[in-house]
Amino acid sequence: MNLEGLDISILGPAFVAGLLVLSTHVPLGRQVLARGIIFIDLAIAQIAGLGVIAAHTFGWESGGWPVQVIAFAAALVGAFSLHWCEQHWPEVQEAIIGTVFIVAASAGILMLAGNPHAGDHLKDLMIGQILWVDYQQLSLVAFLYAVVLLFWFMAFKAGRELLFYLLFALSVTASVQLVGVYLVFASLIIPALTVRKAGKPALWIAYGVGAAGYALGLSMSALFDLPAGPAIVLMLAVLGILFHISRKHVSLT
Amino acid sequence: MERTGLHLLMVVLLCAVSTSVRAKIDVFTCEPEWAALAGEIGGEHVNVSSATTALQDVHHIQARPGLIARLRKADLLICTGAGLEEGWLPVLQRRANNPRVRTGAAGYLEAAQYVDLLDRPARVDRSEGDIHPQGNPHIQLDPRNILSIAAVITKRLATIDPTNAQDYRGAMEVFANRWKEAIRQWEVAARPLKGMPVVVHHNSWVYLQNWLGFEVVGILEPKPGIPPSSTHLQQLLNQLDERPARMVIRSAYQNVRASDWLSQRAGIPAVLLPSTVGGSEAASDLFGLYKDIIQRLLEAAQ
Repeated sequence: MNLEGLDISILGPAFVAGLLVLSTHVPLGRQVLARGIIFIDLAIAQIAGLGVIAAHTFGWESGGWPVQVIAFAAALVGAFSLHWCEQHWPEVQEAIIGTVFIVAASAGILMLAGNPHAGDHLKDLMIGQILWVDYQQLSLVAFLYAVVLLFWFMAFKAGRELLFYLLFALSVTASVQLVGVYLVFASLIIPALTVRKAGKPALWIAYGVGAAGYALGLSMSALFDLPAGPAIVLMLAVLGILFHISRKHVSLT
Repeated sequence: MERTGLHLLMVVLLCAVSTSVRAKIDVFTCEPEWAALAGEIGGEHVNVSSATTALQDVHHIQARPGLIARLRKADLLICTGAGLEEGWLPVLQRRANNPRVRTGAAGYLEAAQYVDLLDRPARVDRSEGDIHPQGNPHIQLDPRNILSIAAVITKRLATIDPTNAQDYRGAMEVFANRWKEAIRQWEVAARPLKGMPVVVHHNSWVYLQNWLGFEVVGILEPKPGIPPSSTHLQQLLNQLDERPARMVIRSAYQNVRASDWLSQRAGIPAVLLPSTVGGSEAASDLFGLYKDIIQRLLEAAQ
């Protein structure tokens, strides 16, 4: 165990990144869970990643705005196609989403055969490098998420499917490049799953569980010198289970 | 009252910790071979730690808070350079924000700048794979490079910590004598390896090849960093029919399946070589590393 990594200037930006991701992903995740389209974030993230790889194949540098535009555009096309599928074949939507995920992943690997630098990028997209983020990167995402949240809480109602897919694609494309697919999936699903039957304050409990998961995961990663992303995923899962057990216990007594 | 006492205790403890740390020079290295070398020169005056182990692929590592914390308090950063760590070192330096080890500062040492790099490509193109435009960065596999870099480390340590400069120079002299004698013995032992045809997993053994004079007749990964296609493997097998190799070499972090596959098809032994300190049990220091490499090559060549 070492205490030297337990430093707010080291863990601070990562924790803020986590809070930002949670801010949009917790409400989106509850909607995803309600619709039973759990793997949609994997599919959309993978399509966005495919866009990034394609951009590399054209020879554009990563981090530049053309790559971002392509990633967002790819995610949007993916999201709208999935929306179209949901309207036409709602009964097999989840199967379609799963297929889109593996097809996008395999297409990425094929493109990567001529471009290994995108390979590093694809790996980063999956596992993420949450500790490398700095406040400058976060300010752009914060701005984007403020817009997403504004639309979400002001304009989203049941039935406005197109808006849901649009906001979802924007949020996931940004968060995947910030923290990686595994953490995006965990932030989206675990808090929402935890508060599935929690009644009125559900949204706030979900935010609390998520924030505590990031805080604990980052601390564990610092104390035991572990990669941060996977540590946070595990802590989110542990907290979700503990919350579920404790709530059951309370309601029984 | 109780709180003041507690605060006082904390301050005393923190001071005790920080002076004991300050007394030593903190050396942070990207690869274990430079940690071992800095330990040989710095001895008891330095605290050495490495970001990676011999079992990791240095091209990619996972971010851990401890890495940022260690670089933040480092006095000297030693990395191979030549693009080997370009995927993570710049971000790590930015996050650590330590002016002592910023690129260009006295506390920043890029080993590849002080040796002649092999395999400098005439043409750099993304289609050529995970290629290093400055040349092949796996320089630690020629012991003569180790000697040149030891001299640079000695100079840097003497600049950063002038009070102990004499000790560093003394340790360098002892090390250089032992090392030159060891090189002489290794070269004698490795004579049978001269001209021996081998297949390598990744093009990471050019410096060893250049030193010992064996011959690479095939590479499992046609483009560095990209898994081989079936056409390439077929070509490799055909090539080996005409010109048989004696063994296929890989390092500890590379997938065993590719070299096992070739080993079975071509009927030649697959050899795991430690590529740096810690890559095998015997390679516990720099002397053990080369001794073990040569011993394993000789055994497989029998």
